Amino acid sequence: MNRVRNFKLFLWSLIGLGAAVATARFMFGLGATTNLSDAVPWGLWIGFDVMSGVALAAGGFVLTATVYIFRLEKFHGIVRAAVLTAFLGYVAVAVGLLFDLGLPWNIWHMIVFWNPHSPLFEVGWCVMLYLTVLLLEFLPVPAESFSSLARVRTLLVRLRLPLVIAGISLSTLHQSSLGSLFLIMPSHVHPLWYSPLLPVIFFLSAIALGLMMVTLEGLITSYLYRRPPETELLAKLGRAARWIFLIYLGVRFTDLVVRGQLEHLSEGVWQVKMFWVEIALSAVIPSILLFISKVRNTLTGLWIVAPTAVVGIVLNRINVGGLVHQQRGETLYLPAWTEIIISAAIVAGAALAFLYMVEKFHVWERHPVDPEAQPKAMPAFDIASFASLGSPQIRSRTVYSLAFIFAAALGFSLLSQNALSSRGMDPAPVGKARGWNEMWIDGNLDGFGTSFAHQKHFARGGGDSTSCAICHHANLPHDRFTGCYQCHRDMYSATDAFRHNWHASPAGAALRCFDCHRLGEVKSAATAKSCSQCHQDLKPSGVVIAVKNNQAASYTEAMHGLCLGCHKEQAAALNKADLARCGNCHRERKPLVDDPVLAKRYEVLESKGVIVPKVSEPRFPGFPVPTPPESQMSLQDRP
Amino acid sequence: MQAWIDFGEGPLFRFSFVLMLLGLGRIFVLTLVNVAEAYRRSPDKILNYREIRHKTIAWLIPTSRLWRKRPVYSGISFLFHLGLILGPLFLTAHVNLWKLSVGFAWFTLPQGLANLLTLAAIIGALALFLMRVFYSPARALSRRQDYAWPLLLAIPFLTGYLMVNNTLTAGAYQAMMLVHLYTAAFIMLLIPFTKIAHCVLVPLSQLVTAVSWKFPAGTGARVLETLGLSERPTWVDKPRLDIAPVKLPDLIKVQSQKKEAKAS
Repeated sequence: MNRVRNFKLFLWSLIGLGAAVATARFMFGLGATTNLSDAVPWGLWIGFDVMSGVALAAGGFVLTATVYIFRLEKFHGIVRAAVLTAFLGYVAVAVGLLFDLGLPWNIWHMIVFWNPHSPLFEVGWCVMLYLTVLLLEFLPVPAESFSSLARVRTLLVRLRLPLVIAGISLSTLHQSSLGSLFLIMPSHVHPLWYSPLLPVIFFLSAIALGLMMVTLEGLITSYLYRRPPETELLAKLGRAARWIFLIYLGVRFTDLVVRGQLEHLSEGVWQVKMFWVEIALSAVIPSILLFISKVRNTLTGLWIVAPTAVVGIVLNRINVGGLVHQQRGETLYLPAWTEIIISAAIVAGAALAFLYMVEKFHVWERHPVDPEAQPKAMPAFDIASFASLGSPQIRSRTVYSLAFIFAAALGFSLLSQNALSSRGMDPAPVGKARGWNEMWIDGNLDGFGTSFAHQKHFARGGGDSTSCAICHHANLPHDRFTGCYQCHRDMYSATDAFRHNWHASPAGAALRCFDCHRLGEVKSAATAKSCSQCHQDLKPSGVVIAVKNNQAASYTEAMHGLCLGCHKEQAAALNKADLARCGNCHRERKPLVDDPVLAKRYEVLESKGVIVPKVSEPRFPGFPVPTPPESQMSLQDRP
Repeated sequence: MQAWIDFGEGPLFRFSFVLMLLGLGRIFVLTLVNVAEAYRRSPDKILNYREIRHKTIAWLIPTSRLWRKRPVYSGISFLFHLGLILGPLFLTAHVNLWKLSVGFAWFTLPQGLANLLTLAAIIGALALFLMRVFYSPARALSRRQDYAWPLLLAIPFLTGYLMVNNTLTAGAYQAMMLVHLYTAAFIMLLIPFTKIAHCVLVPLSQLVTAVSWKFPAGTGARVLETLGLSERPTWVDKPRLDIAPVKLPDLIKVQSQKKEAKAS
């Protein structure tokens, strides 16, 4: 079994899926591809890609400090790999951020338009500078392979110490200021996580995570390339890390005690369970296990500790980054699969770049055995066609690209039709208006609506059937009292009032194409019969409003269009300017809380912590609101 | 039925369409890369690019080369390709679907012309199939998929033509639509992995041939052996054409006679 090839196949498949989702994200935006909302603007992409990405790359500055500042030369063998991991990690952060920014092409703004009061400004600048520093720190490694770059390499090696110092200072600054970002939202972050010490906590956990990430990366690559694992070195890293885990744990709990927030631990909410899981994974289990020398010094032990700690601290970043924020309204944010795929694809891209660098350049003291460059390998043949796939290198190329395109096609097929066409508009189904003489029109049943003097308008229009036809422009077949909501079925988007597939289906109207369309012409709405040619009862007689096509406008649009036209005319004719203004109809009252359905809904909303505004006074003092007589408010007075 | 149609219009179409586009891109790039690698390895670096370009274009024009040798075949094949490519790409109904789903549309053919092109594709496919069956030199060169392709390609065109031009009952229409969608998706899935990939590889065809002449001597000598197929008879062993195989000594004799005739 070729471990490297299988692993790369897996990574290429992830990138393929990611490419499909990325296309949708940049074409149709965040609303179509994420579960983010105005209540939860920061989700997985911030919590994982950016916050955890930066922390995962902390191994770079920790190990450069160890080797080049403290001169612990025994770690020299892994420092190049650590710097490479850090560099690729920061590139992944930058790429991940581009996905989350609403206007990614404005990312350069922070370079020119300074806002020195913002922690994000500092983070942005530090990340940018540190990325440059990391590039310069790593550049000597690939430069070894090109004789033309010998001078550059010599210069960079001479500059190493200043670069390392710059790298450490920049890292310290922004690792902690990622924590400072959340100082601004004490009312958002759950009190078990919020602390004035967030910068310190972030910095400490970043060091621990950096060490664990270097360990994990050593373990994975030694498995992949079947090279002897550096267990001894990794054990030494673990020995240092255990103290940091302990300090971290101490700081977390001392902070809780000092701030007097321990009482939150007795609450029965899910955040408390999350807190315990996170503390166990990110500090308790790793520190205990690392104190046992048998665990620390064996491969199996390290395989248990390192992933646990990495998952734990990443969980901490995701929690602080958005998961345990309070006051998020009704909904709990869980990342959509598309968000997870993008994050995974970015990590996969970084991993592939890492493997490429490792195979191509002297990142490790000994070059790994590259299964793709074995000169004596037999050429491979395609199973189906017996076509030669050529040397192992050509074969890998063929197979990886195949995995990529299949995954990308799968990704496109999995994206829902909504994500591809509706541009993320949530459906808002419309309910029926209630009442007869006095109607209550509140399309999405949120309690805010308009009281409409139905009978009075009827009387003003003349009081006979022609008066009905002023507003009621279409009936459903075999119906004479079709309500607005039956065609205008969505509050904010147009709906299909015709149902073409139903008409053409054997289970529906079972019509043949050319019953409606004309033979020999392109089938479209324009070349089809009009509805009224079959449905004679569709239009009430004397109708004023002409139906242009089968797309019923949104409920709000239809209602405003219907009312405002007349109201504007009348406002001019009667010289009553208020008649056409918002406040004339929208009086922001809840006169229908005695409606059992609505009262129930209010109860549910209020129990979920949603603030239901209690407005009893007219919002617009200039317009006195007449209280409708009780008799007109009754719902059941329809004849 | 409607649910199957919806699946065919939605996820299945997206899967096969994206796979076709990316797969064709992939095979083009891979071919280019492999050609470049073969060229890098070959000792003989001289390639007549002008001739390659000239040949590539000349084979695409029906009035040259093939027209002189096999005018009927050439004409039918050209019309077939014309219908096959232009018909689906510029059919108003298809373009309208794109307009609805991605928001942009392009030039469309008038319905009458689209009908003619569709007919050309259907009749061309049948004619090409029959030619392959009854023309023995073509048969000698044909694999199983070569017979299947024209028939498979004709199905979506036939169903499309019937749906546009015939009065069908609602049930028959849905069945037609189902066949149309699923065969089209199947074809799109196969295109990048079969000989239909020539739709993008045409510009490279002469280049590949030119480079393969530069392979070092004996390159392919042990292919069958390596494949473990040395026992398998090849078409060289059992000539299917009714032409007596020319023996090498005879050929030498004929050539020497010619030389003598020239000299005298």
